[in-house]
Amino acid sequence: MARLLDLGMEKLTNMILDMAELSEKAVTTAIQAYTEGKDMRSEVFKWSEELRFLQDEVSELAIELIARYQPVASDLRFIKSSMEITYGLSRFGRYAYDITTVLSMFGDLSKCDHSTIISMADKAKVMIRKSIDAFIKRDLEMARTLSKMDDEVDNMYKEYVKRIIESKGNNLRCSVSATLILRYLERIADHANSIGDKVIYIITGESTPRR
Amino acid sequence: MDKIEAKGLNAWYNSNHAVKNVSLRIKSNQVTAVIGPSGCGKSTLIRCFNRMHELVPGAKVSGKVLLDGEDIYADFIDPVDIRRKVGMVFQKPNPFPTMSIFDNVATGLRLNGIKDKKKVSEMVEKSLKMVALWDQVKDRLNESGASLSGGQQQRLCIARALAVEPEVLLLDEPCSALDPNSTSKIEELIVNLKENYTIVIVTHNMQQAARVSDFTAFMYLGEIIEYGETARIFKYPKEELTERYITGRFG
Repeated sequence: MARLLDLGMEKLTNMILDMAELSEKAVTTAIQAYTEGKDMRSEVFKWSEELRFLQDEVSELAIELIARYQPVASDLRFIKSSMEITYGLSRFGRYAYDITTVLSMFGDLSKCDHSTIISMADKAKVMIRKSIDAFIKRDLEMARTLSKMDDEVDNMYKEYVKRIIESKGNNLRCSVSATLILRYLERIADHANSIGDKVIYIITGESTPRR
Repeated sequence: MDKIEAKGLNAWYNSNHAVKNVSLRIKSNQVTAVIGPSGCGKSTLIRCFNRMHELVPGAKVSGKVLLDGEDIYADFIDPVDIRRKVGMVFQKPNPFPTMSIFDNVATGLRLNGIKDKKKVSEMVEKSLKMVALWDQVKDRLNESGASLSGGQQQRLCIARALAVEPEVLLLDEPCSALDPNSTSKIEELIVNLKENYTIVIVTHNMQQAARVSDFTAFMYLGEIIEYGETARIFKYPKEELTERYITGRFG
């Protein structure tokens, strides 16, 4: 027989998976909008708001499960982490929206070099997918790969900024807009890494020290 | 839809005013828990729902209890008929000790005039299956009901109550004499049974109320202090007294 708590935890998992799908779509759409010069602000904003709403729903359900079923051990760790994971997923949506606003702020960016953004976006998207997969499969090894990828994204960001500062004759419109987008992608990678940390916590009970 | 509605209900044991002006709507096919400290009137309240309270010498009731909109205290109503529609299970498992497992469940049916042996057997099997006891007892139906474990005995009592096909099941502290494992089995059973029955459970274990019920009523000194959806009561109680009771600050 399934425990009464299991029904609630299954609902919680499904809500997290819905949020994961939506947040991934928001980031992918935002990057595509940037490279293709399309204004997708209103769509992505709508998704971002939906993610925030879902995050509140997850928190409500999580505290209900704690209040009604007194979960312990891995159940309790999962419920606590569900609130933190959905915060990360909701932030993916917000940064996706921020990316779409860059285009409206800076106008036409079609002549700018997109290569750094595309390669960093690819990495961030892989990190999002891995963080979600690690959660679904409770895959400790996969969760642990995220911190190394996060370091790589951090380095890409720092190197780009350094290159901009040191190079002469920059196109300001291109370099400032790219720096902003790279900063948002770097934050997305941070949150994906943090989701990986929560997966590790659910499985092992160990908290990852702040870096 | 409301299955039971109490309107201005009062109950006394001689001069002891145990239930004070209670108005409450019990929803169909939901589990409603009544919680509160010992002696607050919760058992007395549910005993008014199937006219068991009046069996105690010196007991008195005023106000109304409607079952499907009909006053169960009206002059023309036969209390035995009400008790068939509104079954009850008590704190201590009380199978008839001299009867077999089979007869424990079958007796209510026979008393209700069902004589056809095949029909009785079918209904005994159906009731024992509903409480998830059938597989454990099907090969020893002639053994005494007292030979079962505490949790099994309580499930037998629930099967006995279900056999006569009631519409409402009143459970008065059904798990307080059981171990944690038997308790969780009964709790799962309660949640499964609500598909076919309206259930009212009295419990002094508020965690149990939180786990199994859809609605919770908190009683104190004979009055309903707060009533609402269980999730709401345990997350955001509106009354200070409820907050203090469920957080363990009194009672």
